[in-house]
Amino acid sequence: MPDLSKLSEAILKGDVKTAVEITKEALAAKVDPQEILDKYMIPAMDEVGRKFECNELFVPELLLTARVMKSALELVRPLLAASGAEPAGRVVIGTVKGDLHDIGKNLVASMLEGGGFEVTDLGVDVSPEKFVESAKSKNANLIAMSALLTTTMPSMKSVIAELNKQGVRGQVKVIIGGAPVTQQYADEIGADGYSDNANGAVGLARTLIKK
Amino acid sequence: MKNYVRIELQPLGEVFQVERGTPLQDVLFEHGVEFPCGGKGRCKGCRVRVLSGRISLNARQEEVLSSREIQDGWRLACAARAEEDLVLEIAQWETNILTDESRFSFTPRAGLGIAVDVGTTTLVAQLVDLTSGQVRAVQSALNPQARFGGDIMTRVQHALTDDGREELRRIIHHEIGRLIALLLHAPECPAQPLSVITLAGNTVMHHLFCGLDVRPLSAYPFESESLGAQRFSAKDMGWSVPGDPTVCFLPCIGGFVGSDILAGILATSLHDSETVVGLVDLGTNGEIVIGNRDKMICASTAAGPAFEGARIEMGMRAATGAIAEVHLENNGWKCHVLGNAPARGLCGSGLVDAAAAGLELGIIQPSGRLNGDGTPWQLMPPVALTQKDIRELQLAKGAIAAGFQILKEQWADEAQELGRLYLSGAFGNYINRGSARRIGLLDFPLEQIVPAGNTSLLGAKLALFRDPDELDFRPLLGRIEHLSLSVHLRFQEVFAESMLFPEQ
Repeated sequence: MPDLSKLSEAILKGDVKTAVEITKEALAAKVDPQEILDKYMIPAMDEVGRKFECNELFVPELLLTARVMKSALELVRPLLAASGAEPAGRVVIGTVKGDLHDIGKNLVASMLEGGGFEVTDLGVDVSPEKFVESAKSKNANLIAMSALLTTTMPSMKSVIAELNKQGVRGQVKVIIGGAPVTQQYADEIGADGYSDNANGAVGLARTLIKK
Repeated sequence: MKNYVRIELQPLGEVFQVERGTPLQDVLFEHGVEFPCGGKGRCKGCRVRVLSGRISLNARQEEVLSSREIQDGWRLACAARAEEDLVLEIAQWETNILTDESRFSFTPRAGLGIAVDVGTTTLVAQLVDLTSGQVRAVQSALNPQARFGGDIMTRVQHALTDDGREELRRIIHHEIGRLIALLLHAPECPAQPLSVITLAGNTVMHHLFCGLDVRPLSAYPFESESLGAQRFSAKDMGWSVPGDPTVCFLPCIGGFVGSDILAGILATSLHDSETVVGLVDLGTNGEIVIGNRDKMICASTAAGPAFEGARIEMGMRAATGAIAEVHLENNGWKCHVLGNAPARGLCGSGLVDAAAAGLELGIIQPSGRLNGDGTPWQLMPPVALTQKDIRELQLAKGAIAAGFQILKEQWADEAQELGRLYLSGAFGNYINRGSARRIGLLDFPLEQIVPAGNTSLLGAKLALFRDPDELDFRPLLGRIEHLSLSVHLRFQEVFAESMLFPEQ
């Protein structure tokens, strides 16, 4: 029986090799994948998120952590799916049309994945139609949008308009973020939530989906 | 003999009395004059021109000022006392503006020319005698568009509102027209016709001045089709200038890399260089060019405003009270504050110095983490450096360093070493090159980094001497390739890696 606390440590340290080894050992020893996720991976990612929020960790470390998390998740996820376990929520995420910044969006995506969400990353320069289409086809309960330019922010409003137009606004929550975005802007365009950091976005997603 | 003397400051128009014999540094400091070198007589930042009265010369002044300046009445305020009633003209402006005083080679032409650097924040205009190449007068002002947003993107956003574009165009024309009128009415202005006005600025400034649609610059792929040189008649601008001078806004290169960088290439003769050299403008948008006389590649990278002291907890511009330098001393550090005043903030050069010193002293780890429990580093109370400040700096320096690396990789097939690196702009003049290297902002040997001043203005000035038909710079532009970093596959990855500080 492997020491799973080392998996949490490896995630915190950004150690891909150890994380993958321990996860494999644990799965071979028939540890419940849901337990690996809930008891070790998610708490480790929460800790990383907390440290990032208070500036203790920074982008390069977080990207490294995200890589570790992804490698471990790839091992666990197929087993979870096979057992019919439901994710914490289904998220469609992307950087809005006209905008190519993806570091912040990637951080939020990996934090959400690390938080037990099923994440579909649409990449950058995503049109309102594509956001809505993917949300529908993935049966998502959350759309997360990022914009880093004051000039591309208005595209967030277009996504909400498109949701309304297609009559699916009620089925999905919308959260937004990015340097020029504010809570006030979120209120103005009728988004359900705003976070100024990746960790906050996970908490926000959890709260909104519970509603 | 009375014990007080009367001082009048121009162009502020302030009049006041001080005790006879008071050092001018103390007097002027209270009236907002800055002493960039700390009043050590090392720079000319505090120079004043004596319009009435007398300030005696001393060795320090003669060393720093040229004989022409002395003859014109310029003195260093930091090396003088108020011994009699004085009327002084202050050379300094509200913000740091570099006017170029460097020498350059040219082919004489007839008449006068005016070169204008249209900066996002500041405007500088020089009146040049085209027969002698001499700069006869200089005027500067804040860019009046700045009240609609400090950075280019908020400016673009305003231009996209109903009357925004027209409003921005009108106020910039009006303000530059005012500067031109002041230059032409200066007593130093020779009685010759004005034959040409050249303007240089980034792509957004170019488009706003020329009344072009900025929509292409508001979103990906950020490529406008109207990058070329734009000509106007002074009458169209609403400028009342004698004769009918050619007015030309120099062409942009690509994306956000504007004619200010084209001017920088001219100013540094990068396009004539045998060896591969670099040019970087460390602003909110960092622009980088590398190349030689055969080929050039350029890119712009969004560094954010950290170098200007913005988004830094105790950040401020390089003004009195700013920590502008941090030196290592006896296993500790020492701060130098501008204007011999109590420290009240940290400017861009101080921020870079502080990070470099912190890394050397082990106070800051290569990851950027402050040692201890994350409490701010007390540099010189009340001024402290917070963990978040370091993160902002990491973003800014990461963007520049990553841009450089991508351009160098792009160039790599040529198997040529980059020789010299020119730094343009105000920050390039004040930044400590050793510190810039220590934090991984500029990975170059110190002796190869050359502060080049306001290269946008110098380049615009060089353009005054060209044949008006050649102001479109077609052959030169054909040798410059613009690389869009935002779509470059490796940029994000290199950017994240470049946020780390070098181990040593």
